[in-house]
Amino acid sequence: MKTLRVLTYITAGLLLVYALLSESRKRYVKNLVSQVPDLIPRYFV
Amino acid sequence: MKDYDVIVIGAGVGGLCAGALLAHQGRRVLVVEQSNRVGGCCSTYDHDGYKIDIGASIIEFAEVINWAFQRMGTSIYEEVDLVPVDPTFTAKLHDGSEISFPLDLKETEHVIAEVAPEDLDGWKRYAETIEGFLTAALDGFFTTPASTFGDIINLFRNTPDLLKYGSLFASSYEDVIRRYFTNEKIIEAFSFHSFYAGLPPALLPGHFGMLPYSEHHGVHYSKGGMISIPKGFQKCGERVGMEVRFECTVDKVLVENGRASGVQLADGTRITSDIVVSNINARKLYMDMVDPQYISPIAQRGIRSYRYSMATPMLYLCLNSEPALKDHHTLMTRPMDQINDYWFNKYEKGIFPAEQFGILSWTTKSDPGLAPKGHHIIAVTLAPGAYRLAGTTWDAAKENLKAEIIKYLEAKYLPGLRDQIVHAIFSTPVDFERELLSPEGAIYALRQDLFNSLMFRPAARSRHVKGLYLAGASTHPGGGVPTVSSSGIIAADLISKYEQ
Repeated sequence: MKTLRVLTYITAGLLLVYALLSESRKRYVKNLVSQVPDLIPRYFV
Repeated sequence: MKDYDVIVIGAGVGGLCAGALLAHQGRRVLVVEQSNRVGGCCSTYDHDGYKIDIGASIIEFAEVINWAFQRMGTSIYEEVDLVPVDPTFTAKLHDGSEISFPLDLKETEHVIAEVAPEDLDGWKRYAETIEGFLTAALDGFFTTPASTFGDIINLFRNTPDLLKYGSLFASSYEDVIRRYFTNEKIIEAFSFHSFYAGLPPALLPGHFGMLPYSEHHGVHYSKGGMISIPKGFQKCGERVGMEVRFECTVDKVLVENGRASGVQLADGTRITSDIVVSNINARKLYMDMVDPQYISPIAQRGIRSYRYSMATPMLYLCLNSEPALKDHHTLMTRPMDQINDYWFNKYEKGIFPAEQFGILSWTTKSDPGLAPKGHHIIAVTLAPGAYRLAGTTWDAAKENLKAEIIKYLEAKYLPGLRDQIVHAIFSTPVDFERELLSPEGAIYALRQDLFNSLMFRPAARSRHVKGLYLAGASTHPGGGVPTVSSSGIIAADLISKYEQ
């Protein structure tokens, strides 16, 4: 339960930081975040 | 005994550089090239007496390319006739005004002071930061493998100064430029540079913010056309026995017991070797030319996840008289927001308008010998063009687009253009793909954002097939003439280390 709460706080914090970013930074971050699932597979290429 | 020690697939700059360096290690090297000339995207062809550059139209960081020549006991200055390009570029802004950036840094300060006095301090801070970054990066980044976490740790251990510039990697190109400059004219002048690395300012990693500054380390054109640079590598390799075979398309990389054993050509011929160096697009290599049984499922997923880099339609203009330009290198720019908007709302939606921005490269300004006497050539690098156009195809739209773009260029940048044209050749992403076998016409092989770079870009020493190495834009440090030369150095060094 405690872990879940901590994760919720971290997620909320990250979302808040993201909301405060400029449009340009949002695009930059969004592009990178969209590729996160591919990072481990790419490391093996 | 194998036919050769090393077979290099593709006579692009990276392949020739690796091949020449390996021949200098005493290895028997064969370079196989599908077309009838060297250079790939950095090449030149003859059209009715006009020598036309296919893609690259200038080089920066000649010193980086020179490192490869120096390892062969010569120098780029001995092998290639380089002409300095000064001013480094002239920006023709969307409002019709112009800014020229001289090679000399002091003179550039004067230009900034005149156009945007409020940004003079920003320019000085920018120049100091980027100079520091370049000093650190040039030391290690360009010629050190970056395929594993260990490589990255070594990279930073060997060049700890790079750590000071970590914020550049965490920001976008746009962030970096806007951090130092506030004047919209200056920002606009530096906007198009992000496409030198294949992405718009909003998506390109911030360390590429070095590009507008790095031009002050020298911009050069090679006499005889850009092909003179790969030809320089070819000459160096051939002096020590390297062979180059043209019009040889490789179909497959042969693998025996998990180790590369040569290549199979499209006509079925097999050529054997102990080592294979691939200078072609890595996604194509691993998806089409290597038996999938040798590639782990997780790596197959990684390979499929790569997106090809942008394609750039080119318009080659052969003229009967001097164009209305001042300098070799002119950027037709747009405000940074419009360039980002173009990427997200036009390029990504398959729209290619006639109202173009890009580069006017007046090559005969630096080398009049490229065209018949009194005639001239401009290679126009247009805005990024999607491989798939919305509602039409490049082949169907080509002629109409060409006419519309020429009309637009004449109205906005090159008065009297249509009366000067002897030949106008429009090369689309599809033409690029057909001629260079570059998938989707990609000019930098794969995208170059942070998560397609360093250890997330295909490794220079294959993890799947022993004896298979990668050079060229697909692997670290990425696309661009100096960087693919570096990839050739890295491949040759790795082979020297692992293949006795």
